[in-house]
Parts: sequence; C-alpha cells; structure tokens
Amino acid sequence: MKLEGTNSLPAPVETVWKTINDPEALRRCTPGLKELKEVGPDTYQATLQIGVAAVKGTYAGTLAITDKRAPAHYKISLDGSGGAGFMKGEGIVDLEPHGDGTLLKWAGDIQIGGLIAGVGQRMLGGIGKMLIGQFFKCLEDYVGGGT
Amino acid sequence: MKPAVFEYFSPQTVEEAVALLGEYGDDAKVLAGGQSLVPLMNMRLARPPVVVDINRIESLAYIRDEDGGLRFGALTRQRAAERSPLVAARCPLLRDALRLVGHVQIRNRGTIGGSIAHADPAAELTAVLAALDGEVTARGPQGDRVISARELFVTYLTTSLEPRELLVEARFPAPPQGAGWSWMEVARRHGDFALAGVGTVLVLRRGTIADARIGLIGVGPTPVRAAEAERGLIGQPPSEALWEAAAEAVRDAVSPDGDIHASAEYRRHVAGVLAQRALRESLSRVQEAA
Amino acid sequence: MSPHVGARITRNEDPALLRGRGLFVDDVRLPGMVCAAVLRSPHAHARINRIDARRALAVPGVLAVFTHADLGELGGPLPKLIPHPALTYHKTQEPLASTVARFVGEPVAFVVAEDRYLAEDALDLIAVDYTPLPVVESLQEAAVPGAPLVHADMPNNVCAHYTQRVGDVERSFARAAHRFRERLVIDRGTSSPLETRGVVASWQPQTRQLDIWDSTQAPIPIRNGLAAMFHLPQAGVRVVAPDVGGGFGCKVMMFYPEEILVPMAALRLARPVKWIEDRREHFVATNQEREQIHEAEIAVDDDGLILGVRTTFLYDAGAYCPYGIIVPIVAGTTLPGPYRIAHYHCEFRAIFTNKTPVSPYRGAGRPHGVFVMERLLDRAAGELGLDRAEIRRRNLIQPNEFPYDVGVIYQDNAPLQYDSGDYPRCLSRAADMIDYARWGARQQANRAAGRYLGLGIACYVEGTGIGPYEGSRVNVEPSGKVFVATGVGTQGQGHMTVFAQIVADVLGVDPRDVSVRTGDTTAFGWGTGTFASRAGVVAGTAVSLAAEAVREKTRLVAASLLEARPDEIELEHGRAFVRGAPARSLLLGEVAAASNPLRFTMPRDWEGPGLEATRYFAPPRGTFSNGVHACIVEVDPETGMLRVRRYVVVHDCGRVLNPLILDGQIHGGVAQGLGGAVWEKLVYDAQGQPLATTFMDYLLPTSEEVPPLEVGHEETPTPLNPLGVKGAGEAGVIPVAAAVAQAVEDALQPFGVHITEMPLSPNRVRQLVAEARRSL
Repeated sequence: MKLEGTNSLPAPVETVWKTINDPEALRRCTPGLKELKEVGPDTYQATLQIGVAAVKGTYAGTLAITDKRAPAHYKISLDGSGGAGFMKGEGIVDLEPHGDGTLLKWAGDIQIGGLIAGVGQRMLGGIGKMLIGQFFKCLEDYVGGGT
Repeated sequence: MKPAVFEYFSPQTVEEAVALLGEYGDDAKVLAGGQSLVPLMNMRLARPPVVVDINRIESLAYIRDEDGGLRFGALTRQRAAERSPLVAARCPLLRDALRLVGHVQIRNRGTIGGSIAHADPAAELTAVLAALDGEVTARGPQGDRVISARELFVTYLTTSLEPRELLVEARFPAPPQGAGWSWMEVARRHGDFALAGVGTVLVLRRGTIADARIGLIGVGPTPVRAAEAERGLIGQPPSEALWEAAAEAVRDAVSPDGDIHASAEYRRHVAGVLAQRALRESLSRVQEAA
Repeated sequence: MSPHVGARITRNEDPALLRGRGLFVDDVRLPGMVCAAVLRSPHAHARINRIDARRALAVPGVLAVFTHADLGELGGPLPKLIPHPALTYHKTQEPLASTVARFVGEPVAFVVAEDRYLAEDALDLIAVDYTPLPVVESLQEAAVPGAPLVHADMPNNVCAHYTQRVGDVERSFARAAHRFRERLVIDRGTSSPLETRGVVASWQPQTRQLDIWDSTQAPIPIRNGLAAMFHLPQAGVRVVAPDVGGGFGCKVMMFYPEEILVPMAALRLARPVKWIEDRREHFVATNQEREQIHEAEIAVDDDGLILGVRTTFLYDAGAYCPYGIIVPIVAGTTLPGPYRIAHYHCEFRAIFTNKTPVSPYRGAGRPHGVFVMERLLDRAAGELGLDRAEIRRRNLIQPNEFPYDVGVIYQDNAPLQYDSGDYPRCLSRAADMIDYARWGARQQANRAAGRYLGLGIACYVEGTGIGPYEGSRVNVEPSGKVFVATGVGTQGQGHMTVFAQIVADVLGVDPRDVSVRTGDTTAFGWGTGTFASRAGVVAGTAVSLAAEAVREKTRLVAASLLEARPDEIELEHGRAFVRGAPARSLLLGEVAAASNPLRFTMPRDWEGPGLEATRYFAPPRGTFSNGVHACIVEVDPETGMLRVRRYVVVHDCGRVLNPLILDGQIHGGVAQGLGGAVWEKLVYDAQGQPLATTFMDYLLPTSEEVPPLEVGHEETPTPLNPLGVKGAGEAGVIPVAAAVAQAVEDALQPFGVHITEMPLSPNRVRQLVAEARRSL
C-alpha cells in the first residue's frame, strides 16, 4: 500500500530536521509503539501492539533511519513480526524550505503479510493507510508543538 | 482454529455486565451474537483475556415504538427485528436493509446492538442509523450516555464507546407516514459484504422534496451521510435529472477503499448508480404528505 | 424385472449420512489420542535460519515439536508421482522445510499436544528466524528469464517444456484464409471440499500394526508408500479412507507432508495422533490449480472450417510439482474437443512460482482446453459473421467417424482415440432445450426493455475411465446379503449405490441387500484411486466381472443342489431356481451356506469354497464422454453484476448407472464451474501473500447464485468395457467457463466487450464495459 502527502510547517528546515530525528518523536508517533530501545545509531528494537478494535497483534522488530542526508531527507523503515503476521513499512521524508517555514513531503509504503493479510484484506488497505497517515500527522503535530 | 485461553463470564443483568466491564476495561470483549467476534477469536486475531457474554440478559431484548421512533434493546436479534410488524410498519427501510445482512442463520444470532458496536463499514445497520439520525445509549460505571450516530462511528471497527461502556439501546427515528424509502446494495453473492450500499428516504410535500436522507456503506471507514447530495434535493421537484445530479454528489461524498473484489473507483461509481436507483425507487413508494 | 442399472434409486449411503452417523476422519476417537498442529511459513520465500521451540516445549501438555532435523531418513523430498520425460525438474517438498520455505503455508514444524487448543498455543510460542528471499508470484513474471528463482539450483523457473503436434500446423496457417489469435487467462482456484483434510494414525507395538484414517482419494498407494517409508510390511499397515466429504482432486497425493508426519509422530510417541486441517490452513496447505495463460490461434477457411489450431501456454505449478504435468497435458489434449482438426500444435511450459503447489482439481486442465477452443471458435464466428452454433456444427466429428484418432498422446500415455459418441445430436438437443432458434428475437425484446441478456453454448469431449486398473471382490454370505469390496475410495460419488446396482442385476438381488466397502486397504488391497472420472468405469467394470464370476459359481453350486445343469439355473429376487420349474429353488444364502461345507468332500469343479470372486479390469485406453452446455445470463452494465438465468446440460456418458447420482455429479460440477467463471479466485499479492484465505473472500456459489439446472442425458455406450459406461465425475465443470464467457459477450454485444479471462467479477465486467464504451 502506498500513500503520500505534503504538509506545511511553521518552523525552519533545520528545526524540523532536528525534531523528526528525535527518538521522542518516534516514540510518540509510531502507532501502537510499546517499547523502543536504541541498539545502534539510528537503529532501534521496537515492540508494537497494532490493531483495530478486538483485532490486535503484537509485533517485535526493528525501526531504522537510513539514507540520512541532513537536513532534508531520510528514510524510515519499520519491520516487525508476530503471531498474527508480519509487517514491513517504509517512509521517505523530504524537507523543503517554504518561505519562513518548511514543506514536509512524505511517501509511505506498507506491506502486511501472514494471517491478518489472508483474513483481513477487505480493510487492511484502508487501515494501513490510516496508520501511515496517523504517523505523519503526529510528526507534523510534534514539529508544530515542539521547538 | 481454536481460540487462545480466555476467562468467561455470563452475567444475568445489565448491572453485572457493566460491573464486569468496569473491572476489566480494555481486557474485556462483549459477546452478543458472536458472528464477528467468535471467528476472530477462533482465528486468534482477537485474544481478549475476558469475554463477557450478555446473551442471558433478557431485559436487553425488546422492540418498542416510542418517542417517534423504534427503540431496540441491544440484544434484539436481527431476525426478530427483520420480521417485526412494528418495524415493517414504522421503518420499512430498516427491514429491507436487515434482509440483506448476511444470511438467516447469521441474523438468528446477530444482534442490533452488536452490529452497531462492531461498526463494520459494510454493516447495513450503521448506514440506516446514520441516515435516520439515530442514536444509542451507552451505560458505563458513571451512568448512561447518549451518543448520536454522527458521533458514534469513528473509523474502521471503531466507535466512540469506551471500553467500560455497554451499548444498551439503539433508537431509529421513524420517517413520517407516506415517506418513500429504498435500500439497495451490490454484493458479489447474496449475503456477502456489500461492495457499496445505499439507503434512502424521501418525503414529499406539495410536489417537492421536503426531506431526503442518503446513507451509504462500503464506501469509507464509516457509514457516510451524503449531506451535500441531500441538500441538493431539498425543495426540488423529483426528476431523473435530479437523481442523476444526486448520484454525482454522492460520488463526491465518498472515499472508498479498494480490495480484491472491487476497486475504489468501482465502488464510487456504483455508489452513484445505487443512489440514483434508490431515489427512483423511493419516489415510487412515496404517498404525498399533505 | 426391470434392471437396477439405470434406475433412479436413492442412495444406500444416505440414511446414515443424513442422520449424522457417518464416520469422517474427525469422528475417529481413540483412547489416548493426541492432537497435532502445523507451523507454517508466513513467507512466500524465505531462508529458515533457526527454529527455537523451547518455550513451546515448556507448556504442560505439549508432547513434541518436530522440525526437519528430527525427521532423519523421512526428511527427504516427497515421492515424485507421475514422472514424465518432459518434466526436467520434478521438484517435491520435504515433509518439513529444512532450509528454505517456498510458499506461504509450507510446513516448518509439527507440534503434538494433548489437544488442539494446546497445540495451537504451542505454535504461538515457536520462534522462527527467517530471512525473506525475493518472491516471484506472478506466472507471467516467473516465466521471464532473469526472474527470481523459486529453486536456486535451477537455471530458471521452467520445470517442464512439452510439445505435441499433429499434422503440419505451420503450413495450415500459411495457407489459411483467416487466422485469429487470442490471449486467454484463467486464474487460480481451489477445490474447497466440504471436509478439509485430516489424518489419524495409531501404532500398536504389540502387533506391529499401523492403522491410519486419511481423508484421501487414494488409500492404497498411501498404504504402500507409507509401508515402504516406515519399513513395515504392507500387510502391517492399514489405511482407511472413511466417509470423505468431497475430494475433487485435491485429496489425491502421495504424499502431503501431514500424511507422513502424523504416522511418524504416532510411531515415535506410541500414542494415536490426530491432525485435522482447519479451513484457513486448507487455503494455503492443500493443492490448488487453474492458473494458465494461453496464446492461442485458429486458422479457418471462409466457411469457418477449422484448418489448424495452436496454443502456447504457461502453466503455474506453484512452488513444487509433486503431481507432475498431468494438468497441462490434459488441457492440451482436451482442447481439440469434438472438432475435426487435422493440424494442431500444443506447447506448454510449466513454471514454478512462490505459491501453493498445484495438482488436479475437478477437470484437471479440461476446462482450460475447452475455454481456449470455444473462445477461438467464437472469435472466428464473430469475425466471419457466422452463427455460433452453426460454426460448431460444421466442424463436429460425425457419428460414423469413430473410432477417431485425434493424433496426440493422452494423460494415460496411450494415443487419444475417441471411441464413441454423437456430437451433433448433443449440440442440437442443447440448442433445442435453450430455445436457441428464437434467441435473437428474445434478446432484442429484452434490449428494448433495457435488459442485457446473453446466450452461450459450448461443446466438449472428456477423457475418462483411464487405467491402469481397478479390482473388486464380490461375496455372497449365508444371510443372502452380498458384500462388495473395491480399492477405489468414495468422496460422494455414490459408489455404495451404483456398484450395488451393478451387482443386483447380475445376481438377481435387491441393491439394498448389497453392501459396498471402498477405501479400506484391509478390505481390498489393490487399486490406484478415485480420480480422472474413472471409478465408475474401471472399478464398476471390475465389480461387474467379479459379480459375473460369482453368478457362475452360484449356478454351479445351485445346480448340484437342485439336480439340474448350471445353464438351467436362473438368479432372481434373491433366489436360485431351475428355469421352467420355479418351485425348485433355493435362497441365495442357502446356496452360499452349501458352498462352504464343514465336513465331507467338496466337488473339485467348485475350485474352492464360497460364492466369492475377485476380478480386475485394465482398460486399454480411456473412453470419451462428451456434452454441450448452454446458458442464459443477464448482465447489468452499470454494476457489472451477472446473474445466471438458465443453465442447460446435455451429457453423454454412455450407459447411465443411476440418473439421480449422475444428476448430482453434474449439478455439483456445474456449480464449481460457475464458481470458477464468476466468483472463485485465489488472489496473491506481489509478495506471494494469499489474500483470500476464508470464504469471505474465496466465494463459492450458493443456492442463490446457481439456477435450477436442466439436464438431458444421451447414451452412446462405449465398446471399451462390458458395461458400456463412460466417466461422469468431472463433466459438469468442464465447459462452464466457455459457455459463460460467450453468454456475457453476447449480452454485452452492444458495447463490444470481449471476454478473454476467467473468472470475471462485477468490477472487471464494468471495467470492460467502460473501456469498450470509450473506444466505440
């Protein structure tokens, strides 16, 4: 599933860049994140509990930020597996100066496999998009509210 | 397909059930008809540590004609509602929509409250509740709370009910005497989840449309009220051109997802087709209000 | 007395089944029995780095967790069924994947616990470290050189490349007035029997007896294979296929991994072990079929006479090919159908993909052959302005042309030779039944009313009744009741009834007094199984031959008791009597008792006691059924929704043993055919993840979707067996897609829609209408 979006933020690029690299932002915004433990530079072990209503799955895996080109570009990858299946998500974030502020452009792709994919295909697409959208909306809010 | 271990309670009264939900909160799931919950549990996609089975709370099963509409206890079986003379007389839209909920076997167990609380975006009852501006009563440790259809449906399978609340009643305001109605949906087989579904109500007065309701399922994360399309109908005399315009407005109002059965574009297109046909059929059922 | 064969009697098996007194594998309950569950790969292609089962083993009630490392000599690749010279890479899976999993659902570990709940709890606790590998899911893409490899030791994903040729296709095309080409795509489907798979195994160390209950279509090969694998004498292994709730092809394998793992666990744990496949597992773990892509061409003259046909196609084998290339061979040899085709070229490549392995599903390639041929004819008819029934009529093989040599080699490795049939008669009868002559006018009237209805008519020939052989033992007991045993299994075909009818006619008894036992290796130990529409023909003939031998013995014994000559003895109403002197008679049971003396001497010409005989039938080649289906469908161009309004079947399977049972076979086949035309599609995403693993998404037609069927029987008996019967098991499904495609195209003719794929969906139909509208 692919999704993309663009948002305008009232802070300069360098500020936005600093904020979106802050592990606190990841902790706050990654949907269902229960635990985030740094295991290396820009690499974290993650435990996520993602679900909608009664359908919940716990996924253990890795979150990594790669392809960093400060202060304007990075790729964030998240993959996890659990009883209900496994998931693999990637988001590319680009920052552009826009007047006094910043244009945050993001493009995300999420793949879900396993039991949940074979049973829930009817809603997985929509729910996946919703979760990706939530992540980037939260990042925007965090940037807007933070320094 | 065997569920994971769970603790099971079978309260006899609403108070007991609410107390259990109060104690276990997020850990508890309410079991009513079980037509959605039990398969999810058997497939281990849902593993609620606690199941609160409300099927023995007889006081929760009733159908009453009061306050300008129908009041359903949450545990009312869909089949009972479908066959109720009260429903046929006061709200035939609901009866027609119920006929297309799954199959008879499912409706024998499935409940009015359960379907609404489950909030499947393809559940017929949710669009009817939305179209008629219905509401539900939720009972929690702090007492009762009334939630309108507009506030109730949040996203896929998610309502604004709190984990400690039990949906106890659903109210469907009845359209006025002489109103026309129609429920239409497209499903790949009889009883399947609708690819798109529309419920409409039309009230005419002196040759023009006095009230119009259009509720849709299968076209987004929640049921959709096509409010713009409705507004475009008010005050107008009915005509094929009007229905066509309404169909376009309906298409603009929906953002469906695609899946392996039908693309988003198909659902959007069909939503309009069904709206047009449903409005046409609603008109054929109208008896002019004075 | 009217014969029992051909009578429309109700089934012997139903009184028990309808009262819930059948015995299916899950009904088998043994003292101390434990339950198994399978851990399956969630990845379509992955290296298995490590399996850690410690947490699972720590759960009380979990008895064992097996991985490949525990299998020892049982860990090798499963046997290759049906090798073929063109099958260069006959890859089979291991019972548990050792280093690589190649499809979602491939077994990786096997858990045994006190009950299935605990076994599934244990599955949750097994940690497997996978490294995902590149996935190739699409048949089209897997066939391209350079595609990711399903098997790393192969140069590409092609496991077989096979060509059959008749005449000189190049020349016939070069000289043809008209050539038309089509690209035709059929998508994946699965058998979906009502009963999923299951195995129960019990090992008795004291008697060294291994008993297995297996929902299989071929218990005897399973018995023989397991005996060999576990170094047991065949006499020490019993395999029973009890009541089986449908097979349709997917239950004939040797082996599925579970068919080895369950007995292995029973032997090692010395406790009976049960494994029952749940429905979601069935969607990944049981073989699937149907995926083929054809590039086909037809050459015709100005009158629509077929000069040549060729097809080059890709066949999706899935991740392994245990069953070889039977399905594409059947597709290619069914394609010529009832038509005279002097020049034919059929070439296929079988391709591995990272999906569930493929083996036959009812039809086994015949639906594909028919779909291609009929679509080509429809195309030619449309282009030449010929009537669709007329172009078929012109090309049909005539009744006086039998035996007709098609020129290719069939799936039984014998030359394809049609033995009998009356193709023109079936076509005209089907046309009459659907009222073809007045269709044009009715269609116009409907269109004027804004309704889009279409008619489709399709012909086929079906190869049935192939060898190598089947056998049967018939025995009359002193009670007068007759007992029949045969090596085939039964999954709903009504064998307990039709074989009883055959015996009843030969021995002059009531079919209700004949008990038939199938699928138990202890009751009968020689046979190959129920598949390819052969049981009625091959086992039925063996039953008939055995019954005739018993009749001769009965006459011999009765004659000596009644002081007459054997040729004077008649058998009727359960008695043996002297012709012309009916008072001189004995009950059949009395003859049976007399045939087994306890004392004194026994006549030498009896050649042993009892009224019992065992006979085998090995047909030299298959026998060919045929038929014509016609249907009327209504299409809503705005929503793409399709409704089948009428469905007509004319069917010739030679002599009909029981029209009621035959109708049932046809009804079921048509329902499955409609499923494959309109509803049933196994969808995988680009990562090889199956997206339709429940009946929410794999849509089986219900009684609301399938109209009442109108069935006409024709009977041209075959000369190839004494009963004159041909097979009927698969017929219902074979031409359905072809007929529906033609009907939908006919309905949407004002829009110019062209149907080249199966199954359709409302989404797809609407899309085709919209595209056609745009290009008008």
